[in-house]
Amino acid sequence: MKKSRLAILPLLALVGLLLLAGCNKKENTEQSSSAPASAPAAPTATPIDPATVGSISGAVKLDGAAPKPSKIDMSQDPACKGANEAETIVSDKGNLANVFVYVKDGLGSRTFDVPKDPVVLDQSGCRYHPHVLGVMAGQTVQIKNDDPTTHNIHPTPKDNREWNESQPPQAAPIEKNFAREEIMLPVKCNQHPWMKMYVNVVKSPFYAVTDKDGKYEIKGLPPGDYTIAFVHEKLGEQTQKVTVAPKESKTADQSFKAGGM
Amino acid sequence: MPDKPVPDNDPIVTKSYAAHYMIAVTLLTASLLWALWDEAFGMRPWKAYQHEWKQRYTAFLKSASSKSDVSQKEVEGSSDYQKLKQDLDQATQQATPHVRDLQKQIGDLSAKILAVQSVFTDRRAYVNALTYQIETNPSSKQSIQKDLDKYKAQTATVEYPDGSKQPYNFEQLEETYNSLKDQRAKLNAELGDTLKPVTQAKAALDEYVNDHMVDLTPAQIVGLEKKTEDLDPSIQQINVAEANIVDRCESCHMGAREPVKLTAASMSEKGAKAPDDFAKAFVSHPNPALLQVHDPDKFGCSPCHQGNGRATTSIEKAHGNYEHWLWPLYTKQNLEAGCQTCHAADMMLVSGDVGWTISKGKDLFRQRGCMGCHRYEGYDKEPEELQSLNQQIKQLEGERRDNTKQSAYLMKRADAAESNDEANKLNDEAVGLRVANSKIDGRLQQIDFRAHSLMQDAKKVGPNLKDARLKLNKNWIPVWLKKPSEFRPGTKMPNFRLTDAQIQAISAYIWQSGFTDSLPHQKPGNADHGKELFETRGCLACHSIGEGDDLQGGTFSANLTRVGEKANYDYLVRWIHNARERTRPYCPYEKKDIGPEDYAKKNLPYVFDLAHSKCPNDGHELQVQNMTVMPSLRLSVEDAQDIATYLLTQKKQEPSTYADASFMDDPKLKDEGQKWIRHYGCAGCHEISGMEDEGRIGTELTFEGSKPIERLDFALFTEGAERGKEPITNPEDLARLPEGPAKAPWYDHKGFFEHKLAEPEIYDKGMVKSETEALRMPNLHLAKDQVQALTTFLLGSQESGLPANYQYRPQDTRRDIQEGWWIVTKYNCVGCHQFFPGQDSSLMKMKKYQDADWKEQLPPKLYTEGARVNPEWLRRFLANPSLSDTDTNRNGVRAYLKVRMPTFSLSDDEQRKLVRFFQALSQQPLPYIPQSVPTLTSKETEMARSLFSSTAAPCLKCHATGDAQHDAHATAPNFLLAKERLKPDWVERWITDPQAISPGTSMPSGLFNHVNGQWVFAGPTPPSFQGYTQDHTKLLVDYIFQLTPEEQRRVASSMGRSTASNSAPASKKPSVGATRHALPHSGASAGGSR
Amino acid sequence: MDWRQLWEISSAPDNVPIVGLIPLLAFYIYLAWKQAHANDQLITQLEADPAMAKTHHRKTWPFKPGWQKEVHVWPFLLRIEFLAAIIVTIILMIWSITLNAPLEEPANPNLTMNPAKAPWYFLGLQEMLVYFDPWIAGVVMPTLIIVGLMVIPYIDTNPMGSGYYTWKQRRFSISTFLFGFVILWIAMIIIGTFIRGPGWQWFWPGQTWDHNRLIYEVNRDLPDLFGIASNWGKAIFGAIVVGGYFALGGFAVFSLFRRYMPKDFARMSILQFSITQAFLLIMLALPLKMMLRLLWHIKYVWITPWFNV
Repeated sequence: MKKSRLAILPLLALVGLLLLAGCNKKENTEQSSSAPASAPAAPTATPIDPATVGSISGAVKLDGAAPKPSKIDMSQDPACKGANEAETIVSDKGNLANVFVYVKDGLGSRTFDVPKDPVVLDQSGCRYHPHVLGVMAGQTVQIKNDDPTTHNIHPTPKDNREWNESQPPQAAPIEKNFAREEIMLPVKCNQHPWMKMYVNVVKSPFYAVTDKDGKYEIKGLPPGDYTIAFVHEKLGEQTQKVTVAPKESKTADQSFKAGGM
Repeated sequence: MPDKPVPDNDPIVTKSYAAHYMIAVTLLTASLLWALWDEAFGMRPWKAYQHEWKQRYTAFLKSASSKSDVSQKEVEGSSDYQKLKQDLDQATQQATPHVRDLQKQIGDLSAKILAVQSVFTDRRAYVNALTYQIETNPSSKQSIQKDLDKYKAQTATVEYPDGSKQPYNFEQLEETYNSLKDQRAKLNAELGDTLKPVTQAKAALDEYVNDHMVDLTPAQIVGLEKKTEDLDPSIQQINVAEANIVDRCESCHMGAREPVKLTAASMSEKGAKAPDDFAKAFVSHPNPALLQVHDPDKFGCSPCHQGNGRATTSIEKAHGNYEHWLWPLYTKQNLEAGCQTCHAADMMLVSGDVGWTISKGKDLFRQRGCMGCHRYEGYDKEPEELQSLNQQIKQLEGERRDNTKQSAYLMKRADAAESNDEANKLNDEAVGLRVANSKIDGRLQQIDFRAHSLMQDAKKVGPNLKDARLKLNKNWIPVWLKKPSEFRPGTKMPNFRLTDAQIQAISAYIWQSGFTDSLPHQKPGNADHGKELFETRGCLACHSIGEGDDLQGGTFSANLTRVGEKANYDYLVRWIHNARERTRPYCPYEKKDIGPEDYAKKNLPYVFDLAHSKCPNDGHELQVQNMTVMPSLRLSVEDAQDIATYLLTQKKQEPSTYADASFMDDPKLKDEGQKWIRHYGCAGCHEISGMEDEGRIGTELTFEGSKPIERLDFALFTEGAERGKEPITNPEDLARLPEGPAKAPWYDHKGFFEHKLAEPEIYDKGMVKSETEALRMPNLHLAKDQVQALTTFLLGSQESGLPANYQYRPQDTRRDIQEGWWIVTKYNCVGCHQFFPGQDSSLMKMKKYQDADWKEQLPPKLYTEGARVNPEWLRRFLANPSLSDTDTNRNGVRAYLKVRMPTFSLSDDEQRKLVRFFQALSQQPLPYIPQSVPTLTSKETEMARSLFSSTAAPCLKCHATGDAQHDAHATAPNFLLAKERLKPDWVERWITDPQAISPGTSMPSGLFNHVNGQWVFAGPTPPSFQGYTQDHTKLLVDYIFQLTPEEQRRVASSMGRSTASNSAPASKKPSVGATRHALPHSGASAGGSR
Repeated sequence: MDWRQLWEISSAPDNVPIVGLIPLLAFYIYLAWKQAHANDQLITQLEADPAMAKTHHRKTWPFKPGWQKEVHVWPFLLRIEFLAAIIVTIILMIWSITLNAPLEEPANPNLTMNPAKAPWYFLGLQEMLVYFDPWIAGVVMPTLIIVGLMVIPYIDTNPMGSGYYTWKQRRFSISTFLFGFVILWIAMIIIGTFIRGPGWQWFWPGQTWDHNRLIYEVNRDLPDLFGIASNWGKAIFGAIVVGGYFALGGFAVFSLFRRYMPKDFARMSILQFSITQAFLLIMLALPLKMMLRLLWHIKYVWITPWFNV
């Protein structure tokens, strides 16, 4: 429509000018719209110089009294021997165990290759060892069953694929891996409801889990400013800014409020 | 004197017109050329496109081929490929020598044949000629025959390639020729045989590559390049004669159907910062899967996208974006309007896909009660059908009366008849009529059944206002009417722009016309327990609570954050206990609410429910239920009281703080109120006494999309719309416009609908109208995306010119699916259940259910429901999910779930449809013939039992056994249900790999291994299994299907479970108890083994 | 001033001819007038001195020795006509390239366009429908026009001014023509094209064509103004008025003729004259009627049970 409308211009002009035995022509131009094109930026990974690496270590405390760990009754499966306590908040004299510590931010676009050797998750006495596990995305997790009963391993992730496999006694270890980063990914056994543990899938090898004294250490960190995250299954996440100078070994302590959840 | 001086030479003779001619002719030629150019290119812009396409696509393919080479390398890296490759090489090696010498022989032979042929054919021609003469002129037969024989006898010399010469006479010649040819044929066959292994190996290899390469193989790409290479500019046209579709879209959109993914970016020229028109036109269809279902060669493009398929002269023309073209291209935002063309009958457009704007629009249209005022084919059809039934009843009863009269008359005549024959004849007729009557009675019976179930299916979007008095805080009503979205954001109740006078009148009518019956008085309950029940029983699948960010639950029905300000406790309890319970039944024939007095007259007990739904006065069907979709959760009265108590605590201000509204008792206001209620069509969504059969007040919208634009009343904004002026000023409403305030002209259907939905009164703006003339459509306070969805739906609502068979109205099982979705969405089954992966239920989205343990409290996924359950059982389950008439306060199958499968009291019709729906969804045939399960030998039973009870086999750890203590931990259904409920084949599939059927279920996979053709239990098997060759799975399934309670008890006890399970208070009282603690110690399983 | 509206109207393909018409008309009238003026001057000269007439065998220029007495049609006329033909061809070609036929959607019987306009060359008739009964405007008037055109050669008794442009010698016929063509025909086409908007209402150029526009106007019949109620009275009154117009008009024409063009008058037979007179008055009646309507909202003058004028 618009085209032909505009096209009248040359016509009218022509009519007019022909009367004076002259002529001129106009051409109408096609207008074209445009949209922004996407330009992907290539990530640049700077290699780590082993000479300058530092480390972060510290202890995680729980201020306030730790709630009395509730006894777990495992009588429903005779094969489950020994005593067992809920491991939600394990604190010995205020040292908080099972806190996952990792470098949340500051590594920029660095990429790290995944270690070949698997991380082991052991089931014995109808509990998981360890209770909190760190693993790199793509790294193999090897799951063993040392109990005389059948377990099933059932991770319930948000961003990874969910699966649930049975592992009878003396069955061969199950080998799995998690492709995507995810913190405090719950794993459970449907047959032994009390059996719970958390896998933490991270992109970097810079992570640690506090031991029963609440201690942890992250080695081989290149110098830089980092955000360290302390994550506990119940008490949630806390972060801390840490600057690591070359060859420096920093200490970063952290404390959680009891019942602060 | 003339003003000009007189020239010396006669101007007429001497004046030269050369210059004029010069100019004129140049112009003429120019315009001629222009005409030619216009003809060749100006009117054929697609040529330019195809030219561009050639270059860009070739370039693209080049880059693609390099990529695919790489990936092919990877494939070739794999061992399987290597193996196939070897096979190929071997085959070739073996074949080659033989092949080579065969080919040689063939070559020689062909040469020989050629040599013979040249001589032979020539002679044969002569012979044939002679033969013809013999045949045609018998006179000179003999003589010619002689010549012929002579000629045949003559020998001719054949010179073979190897130089040897050979004389033959005709016969010999012929014979040699034929024999040679036979030889060659043989050799060729042999060659074929020898080559067979090679070709097979080759085929296998290619197949492997095709199967294992994600994108195209280099070979395929080369093919494409070739195709593009020798493409010569021509109109690409899809022509479907039967549907009169002629679409030339692909003349420019060359990439639409290419087997590769073409994006604007990948098709733009090197270094172009933004993709130009060409690049944008060349992209491949974003959803190839759709094209596979809707083959363009059958459907073309325009039925879905619209636009002017035939036009090729300009973009505007082709896209139909010009005045006078009635079907302009759908915009990106409303693309899916096109689906409505054929899928008008589908509520869920694609089973197995979510996020469809059009489906959303359809759902909104129903949820927001648009069909309360606007008729739309297929929506809310029950009332219409009921009416037609009434018609039939009247007519049939008439017929019956006539028949009786007629037969009586006939019999009288029969008695008085002269001859017996005549008497008999007449009597027969009479009898015939009596029989006809009994048939009619049968028919009437059926109609009543139908009416019964229609009555059950008919629902209203809004609550029953006859109960207003019993239900509501009187003073709250006017406040609510003022602006519902004020009190309850996102409510279905739209904002009518009522004046205070109107509000007073309306509320007065509603108040005064309401029931005044007295409700049983309820004693207060326990709010905390109520809260817990409310949050766990599944109320939140439909209802939401909390506002803004801390809003929890589904948006399907009311947000209860402030329910405490409006509701009356006693009523609320009744409502929660069974929302369908009605204060008084309604008789659609007498058009009145039947009260105890009516029953008393006929001295009948005053009971009415689905079982007693006959009107005491005229014996026809009564409306005995509240017309709400809210189901009964089968809660005990105490639980109902607890919940009600809790809900009443949900308020922002005290009910008492509402301004007094005693004017509602003023009888003078009543008539006024009725007038306004009728005017605004309130009865479209609410039951209001005296207005049960009000008609719809709005225009029918079934074909709104194809209304001529002139028929849409832009009122004073016609000019403004044409010139892209934005009339809406109210910021709230402006925010509703999907694409924000108008920037371009919006004088089209899209613009009209969007503005109408964003601010319905907009077309009154600037006009002077009386209260009764003003537009009545209320403001539905929709969000951007909702407006867009509805607009899409309306745009699609067109009278399609396509032949009827293009309409998607399947008659096979797909129809069951189609109908099923209407019910599933009607009762919001998707609020709790998942029907296909990716469709998240409201519960799943809730914060609570993110927790690993609560995840397993989620209602079961229904991915393969049809394949899983026995349809007859399913029907019974839908009718009464508790699967028990005595103990109804529980879940039938999964007692361990906190959330309840409610009783929807579905009509027989809807039960039938749902069962069919599930069966169809998983391609199960109906009727279902249960597959017979072989009875196990005692040995087998023994084996099965031993496996069942072995510690390695954890079945009974999770599965309920009926033993209260054990069931406190149970996270899976009782095996005893299996026989009735499940299909054996499915169970077998299930236990081998549950995760494949219901990802994330707590039933683990890997319980069995497939060892050389036999399914074997993964764990250590009891000794009795030595040398057992059948599938262990089969054994177990058979066992489960003939499991008896005793057997179960035996097995359970043999597992030697200690009875000390103090961790579960639940063990006191399974059903109610289980509800008493929020988080079970046992991670109960919703994934549950199903 | 709604320029956009103006542009939309004037650029609509069906209106282009009329847009073109306006300047063309002006130009050619000007051209003709120029020629006529030159000729008239010459005529006065020649009439002044008869000797000069002898030397003048061709228009506007005096005789020059060596000039041919006659020139041939070929090539001297045809070459110009051919040039004209070429130019017209060019115009037509470019026109046909640039402007597509103004096609619209398939006709929809229950949806008529508004305003619904006749093709441009009939707009004049359509415009007349506003002022007269359909059968007068649609049947009588066109017939009269045609008859009038047919009658011209018979009533034109003026032997002069054929074959050359002149004003002086044909004042009456030229002005009549201009009146009939430009005022009655072209003007009404232009009104129909640019002025008549939705609902055939009167929109001044540049006024927005508002579909919702409502205007209040009562058109009364002349008799009503004089408070004549009875049908007979109306009929008679109307007859008198119309008759009066023709009588007075007739007299005026008669006296003007006698006064200003006695020669023509003398040459005419009574029949010729009366026919001329009649057509002239009818022609004049049209704009008068329009004016009555547009300015004083007078609908009909003469009302009878059979026809209204």
